[in-house]
Amino acid sequence: MGILRLAVSTILIACLLNSVPAYSQPSPLITFTKKNITLREALDEIHKQTNYTYAGESIFTQYSHRISISVRNAPLSLVLDSCFRDQPFTYEIVGTAIVVQARPVRDQTVHGWIFDEKKQPLEGVTILVRGEPMTAAVSRVSGEFSIHMHFADDRLVFSSVGYEMQELMPKEGEDAVVILREKIGELSDVVVVHNGYTEKTLKASTGSSDVVGTALISRRVSTSLMDRIDGVTSSVLFNKNIQANTNQSSITIRGRSTIFANPNPLIVIDNFPYYGDIGNINPEDVESITILKDAAAASIWGAASGNGVIVITTKKGKLNQAPKWSFTTSQTVGEKPDLYYQPVLSSADYIDIQQFLFRNKFYNGALSPFQHGAITPAVEIFDAASKGTLSSTDSATQINLLKGQDKRRDLSRYFYQHSLNSQYALNVTGGGAKNNYYLSGGFDENRSNLVRNLYKRATLTGSNTYLVLQDRMEVTTGVSFASSKFYNNNSGVVPGYYPYAKYADARGNPLPINIGFKNSYIDTVGGGQLLDWHYVPLNELKNSDNTTNLADYRINVGIKYAVRKGLDIRAYYQYGWGDSIGSNYQSIQTYFARNLINSFAQYKNGLFTFPVPQGGILDETRNTYAANSARLQVNYQDSLFRRGLLNATAGAEVRDIEGESRRTRLYGYEKGVGSSRPVNYDSSWQQFPNFGTSKIPYLDLNGNTAERYISYYVNGDYTYLGRYTLSASARWDESNLFGVKANQRGVPLWSVGGAWFLSREKFYKADWLSFLKLRVTDGFNGNIDRSTSAFTTAYFNQGGNSYGVGSATITNPANPSLRWEKINIFNAGLDFSFREDRFGGSIDYFIKEGEDLIGESPLDPTVGLTTFRSNVANMSDHGIDFSMHANNRIGNIHWNSILLFSYVEDKVTVYKEKIGPVYNYLGGTSISPIVGRPLYSLFALRWMGLDSKGNPQGLLDGKVSTQYGAMLGSGDLNDLVYMGPLTPRGFGSWRNNLSWRQWGLSWNIVYKLGYVFQRSSILYSYVFTGGSPGSPDYERRWQNPGDEANTNVPSMVYSLDRSRDNFYQNSTVLTEKGDHIRLQDIQLSYDLVRSDIRRLPVSRVKIYLYANNIGIIWKANHAGLDPDYVTGVPNPRTLAIGLKTDF
Amino acid sequence: MNRTMWSFFGSWLLLILAGGLVGSCHKQDFLGKNPNSTLIVPSTLSDFQSLLDNDLVMNQVPALGEISADNYYMGDDLWQIAGTRVQNAYLWKPDIFVGQGSVEDWNFPYQQVYYANVVLDGLGKIKTDNSNLATWNDLKGQALFARAFGLFNVAQLFAPVYDVTSADSDPGVPLRLTEDVQAQVVRSTIKQTYNQITGDLRLAAGLLSSKVLMTFVNRSSRPAALAMLARVYLSMRKYDSAMIYADDALSLSLPLLDYNSLNAGAITPFPRQNAEILFQAQFVNYSSSNSQVLAYGTTSCFADSTLIKSYDSNDLRLVLYYASVGGPGVGLNGSYTGSIFPFGGLATDELYLIRAECKARKGDTGGAADDLNTLLLKRWKTGKFSNLAFSSSKAALDSVLLERRKEMPFRNVRWSDLRRLNKESASIMLTRVTNGLIYTLAPIDKRYVLPIPPDVLQLSGIANNPR
Repeated sequence: MGILRLAVSTILIACLLNSVPAYSQPSPLITFTKKNITLREALDEIHKQTNYTYAGESIFTQYSHRISISVRNAPLSLVLDSCFRDQPFTYEIVGTAIVVQARPVRDQTVHGWIFDEKKQPLEGVTILVRGEPMTAAVSRVSGEFSIHMHFADDRLVFSSVGYEMQELMPKEGEDAVVILREKIGELSDVVVVHNGYTEKTLKASTGSSDVVGTALISRRVSTSLMDRIDGVTSSVLFNKNIQANTNQSSITIRGRSTIFANPNPLIVIDNFPYYGDIGNINPEDVESITILKDAAAASIWGAASGNGVIVITTKKGKLNQAPKWSFTTSQTVGEKPDLYYQPVLSSADYIDIQQFLFRNKFYNGALSPFQHGAITPAVEIFDAASKGTLSSTDSATQINLLKGQDKRRDLSRYFYQHSLNSQYALNVTGGGAKNNYYLSGGFDENRSNLVRNLYKRATLTGSNTYLVLQDRMEVTTGVSFASSKFYNNNSGVVPGYYPYAKYADARGNPLPINIGFKNSYIDTVGGGQLLDWHYVPLNELKNSDNTTNLADYRINVGIKYAVRKGLDIRAYYQYGWGDSIGSNYQSIQTYFARNLINSFAQYKNGLFTFPVPQGGILDETRNTYAANSARLQVNYQDSLFRRGLLNATAGAEVRDIEGESRRTRLYGYEKGVGSSRPVNYDSSWQQFPNFGTSKIPYLDLNGNTAERYISYYVNGDYTYLGRYTLSASARWDESNLFGVKANQRGVPLWSVGGAWFLSREKFYKADWLSFLKLRVTDGFNGNIDRSTSAFTTAYFNQGGNSYGVGSATITNPANPSLRWEKINIFNAGLDFSFREDRFGGSIDYFIKEGEDLIGESPLDPTVGLTTFRSNVANMSDHGIDFSMHANNRIGNIHWNSILLFSYVEDKVTVYKEKIGPVYNYLGGTSISPIVGRPLYSLFALRWMGLDSKGNPQGLLDGKVSTQYGAMLGSGDLNDLVYMGPLTPRGFGSWRNNLSWRQWGLSWNIVYKLGYVFQRSSILYSYVFTGGSPGSPDYERRWQNPGDEANTNVPSMVYSLDRSRDNFYQNSTVLTEKGDHIRLQDIQLSYDLVRSDIRRLPVSRVKIYLYANNIGIIWKANHAGLDPDYVTGVPNPRTLAIGLKTDF
Repeated sequence: MNRTMWSFFGSWLLLILAGGLVGSCHKQDFLGKNPNSTLIVPSTLSDFQSLLDNDLVMNQVPALGEISADNYYMGDDLWQIAGTRVQNAYLWKPDIFVGQGSVEDWNFPYQQVYYANVVLDGLGKIKTDNSNLATWNDLKGQALFARAFGLFNVAQLFAPVYDVTSADSDPGVPLRLTEDVQAQVVRSTIKQTYNQITGDLRLAAGLLSSKVLMTFVNRSSRPAALAMLARVYLSMRKYDSAMIYADDALSLSLPLLDYNSLNAGAITPFPRQNAEILFQAQFVNYSSSNSQVLAYGTTSCFADSTLIKSYDSNDLRLVLYYASVGGPGVGLNGSYTGSIFPFGGLATDELYLIRAECKARKGDTGGAADDLNTLLLKRWKTGKFSNLAFSSSKAALDSVLLERRKEMPFRNVRWSDLRRLNKESASIMLTRVTNGLIYTLAPIDKRYVLPIPPDVLQLSGIANNPR
């Protein structure tokens, strides 16, 4: 009623003013800046500067919005236009009067149709009334829409994913027809979230997700898809330093919320979870990658979603598009790895230590003629010199020669090379009125930086969509095929621990090294009847024949049938099959075969017989999986109440993944002929030389696995007035968990969420922040540990027992209270953008509470088992994901900058079981949770300096002590010093893209903060026995009384005191900070399109250079170590040159 | 509600109905599938036999007793690399484990107890009838034997020697009698410990088959159970009982191996499955040690020189049990395990020695001599052995005890014998010289009871042994 009265009175005023004759005068210029003022205040200011008066004040003041304005010497009309934008009034200049008038009222429902450029109806287009945030509608499958218009001059705004926004003022009495044009270029503002079930725009969702689009996927050059998202998404951490036996995943999303169950995120490709090797996916075929982080986003995946979900959507064709060909290629050259990166003991120091040991008679046992085990060359020389068979000058010369040798030199020269990766991909996409297609083929060949290692991959992908039954039914089919082959002939590791080994002489002829048996023994044993027993590293490399073949295919069929407006039924089916065949042929030339044949040789009456046939050995492993997944789903979309929009989905799903693994070994195998020989597995054979008896290794096995799921789910969201969205989901999962009662197989999981489009509120006045949305979600994800069981579980030992019958080992004690793991995730987020989306970003705060987590607790060994897995633990994570982007144009230079920051703090909140002594917790090498600390924490023992004899000191019962065993064995967890988390607390990246005309420059800086690592030092007992290469810290060791003031490196003592070394290794003094910043990569590109050069034979060509793994910019530690590579060698720098062409 | 909504909910209903229909018919089959074909829930008699046939678990004995005993000594170079536990046990240090858990000497016997309990609890759920009763009985006997075997071995190391005067108060070992891992168990008294062991063994002897199957010497039999009873009662110094069970066992006509039939040149002259073995078991392998101290071919591991000197040159045991390993002494040769590792099971020779000792203690010098002669005839070179005769029961006993040591070095009995004989006032003083220092262990010393492993102390809360 109010509006009507307002309208009537305004019209009256307008009529009165109309009688005043108009005359022309130059438009005055206005300068002023005001924030959040009323319309009246603005008009007052205009009046002050221009003397223009205004009329209609009595009514408009209370109905107008507040405005912010900033103008300098702007013409009056422009200023007024912005004052009246989106106001329920309009104005007219009559002479020097500004007449404020109510807008003409229409108050009727407008009906219309939306099509794309090819006249295909567009579904799901959002229709808003400009200036009326309370009204919104969405187009249906038919492209139809209807929306209520209040004012006659209302403009409708049409927006949809992938299309340019359009405005229209519908004519009265006519159906509006709108044609939306496809958007070209990067979808920066309309990002689509694929959760594997449905799609929606990122802006419309209540959940927390990250989307990596095509452009970003193709920014990085790599064969592997997962590399493409490293460092470009917030909250996804790529773990580089993974300790064995700690159940860490190489990718974690928002920290950790499980302990012993599966730690890996779920990977979904084209609607269904993928069970094959992710390496089979060619990144060129991927349209987008969506990372689902919170409960609302991920709970749709139920019991498998506890670690987050990565949804991969492959490229599809489009209707009514001429065939578009595209070809990409790249060549990447990589440096040799820096083998000198890890600080190790020099050959000279190593030999000095060996001499020290020799003098202490450490090698007496090994040197005894009754022992045949290999001894290192230096010890051989010392022995010969002490026996007088070698003169002291000769021995000194030989020792000096050895001191000058470094095995890394030969290793680098003969085992490593520059890597060369070549990638080629060709695809074509297009479509007619009733169908579309995408076809692609890719070929990759990677020459590893290890000599004789190679990887080849060929991929073939095709997908088709047909519209049938008067376009009511959409049928999609897709086939993907990948075949790859690995040649693993070089592990980069040569057995034999002494650092002065030499693999070739000056002319490059291969040399043997001392492993296995003493040279004096090898040269004489068997009187020529045995096979050569020397180990020659270069010959091993030459003779290695180890390959893995992978094949993988997926077939998708999807049917979508529109029952009626807003209601469709969908059915999806996917069949996936994958096969991996590993074949390791170790010919009789290899040490492995020769050693096995020799050690089983039987000596009788001067003759040898050979139970292991004299021939090669072929080991084959084969792992196959077949996955059948089917889903039936109903989608419903309608404005359930006026001004609202309901999206709902419900469905049921069945999945069955059957795996088979098989391993076989053939003895006496000759590759060319394909023949093998039988062996006697049952008899025990005397081992040569004198190692007791042994059976010929029997490795054949065949095992089957099955994972089966039945799930039911509903989820939906309701958006009211375009401003308030409520979402909810529920899911019930059941699986064939082992040894679980039928009624405990299932788990209900759910989520609820809400979003508030604050900037669409009437009262929202912050024009500087044009888009603001608040989101909150809460719900449960699940996780599963397939290794536990409610019943006592055993497995049959391969090959049975020594008496030729089957034997079984208990793996798991009975656990009647076994439950599913549940992870509660609360997420609150804020999305914002301003200056026409030139700046924008989001910030999310999350809390993850893992309940009933499977924990492995040490059991009192008296029980008969040392560990037990049960639902004993709770964990709690909380953190922040922040991302911010800026797009700026400075002259011709376009600058785009993306800052990502994630912070996550996890701690174990409940761990019910008692734990053993402190040594279990040290070094982060096993999972040993302490309540109140992160799951992966570094604990150390208090370092109290060296004593006056160079012995490391710690604290025992509050007193300085050198009782290492007692300190390591303390049961008091308060003796542990918490050094910090082993995984980064804060991490992220800062990516910048600069473009100038055809040139583009992009670089990515990544960082990891707030964590620690433990470095290694000189551990004498391990060096003595060959277990550690030692550390150059040796040179700074305690040698004389008084040194303890200047060094922390313990003295060298002749006693194999492991406890002393273990204490030192795990003391606080060897902890380093992990914080670092790295320049990850730089890309320089030149991009030509036909509009630039008319004679360009193709429509577009882009050439780029890409440098990766460039190096660390800053690091907190002074140990000279890259915290991503505490052990091992950093990834070598690579340089790629690439070409992308569209025809 | 409008029509759209009806059809919307209708479709859902249809879907749920369809899902339910599929579910009710096949869901339980579908979800009942075993997720891994190599996993089983042990529930059949054959499953239980497979558990008991796990020789890597069930046929292992602790090594710490022999390591602490006086049948051998180590050179300094071997001691250096022997590993902390062996180093300290060898020198009878008060703290052997210095905080390091995962002690096989405790864990393996209790693993045997656990397997036995799983089988015993499982057998209770199987209905017996004529077709399976014999197997059921045999399995129950095997499980009871295994439990007693494990408990006895652990009691020899971690509990004081049985003394009738203080058995009610001396701390024994924890008795775990159920597979429930959550069950809380404290240390029993020595009396309870030995009552459990002897009770299990007596029951086992009644259930087990009377024949030793040479093909399955890893499984126990009535002779094995009786031999074990004899060994247990001997360790308790209940010589009457020991003799009864040794006698019972020997009445089952158990053969002795004639050492003349063996190849002294072979590294492992004794077959793993030979006629004399009643129950096969070997010393457990230490995962934490660099070197297997007690094994064939270990450099600088030497047999005690007085022990070596006590063998006659015509005694075949000298060449069969020992071999040159380089250095000043002789090392170990093959054993009844048929491998390089020492034998820790039961064999017929022990029964003769037990019976001889019991007879000697009762003053039956003739009987003692008969048993020794029967045994030694098979140990000496053919034709070289002349029968022994004793003038006094002390002479008989001394001779029996010497022959016991000579017959069964490195058989996991010497440590028990030392404890027992010192109780009998044998006053055996042990001495070691390592790295130039002299270490001794007095006949009656707290260190004859080893400390409880630290992880056990922490996780169970049981009391440690005073050292």
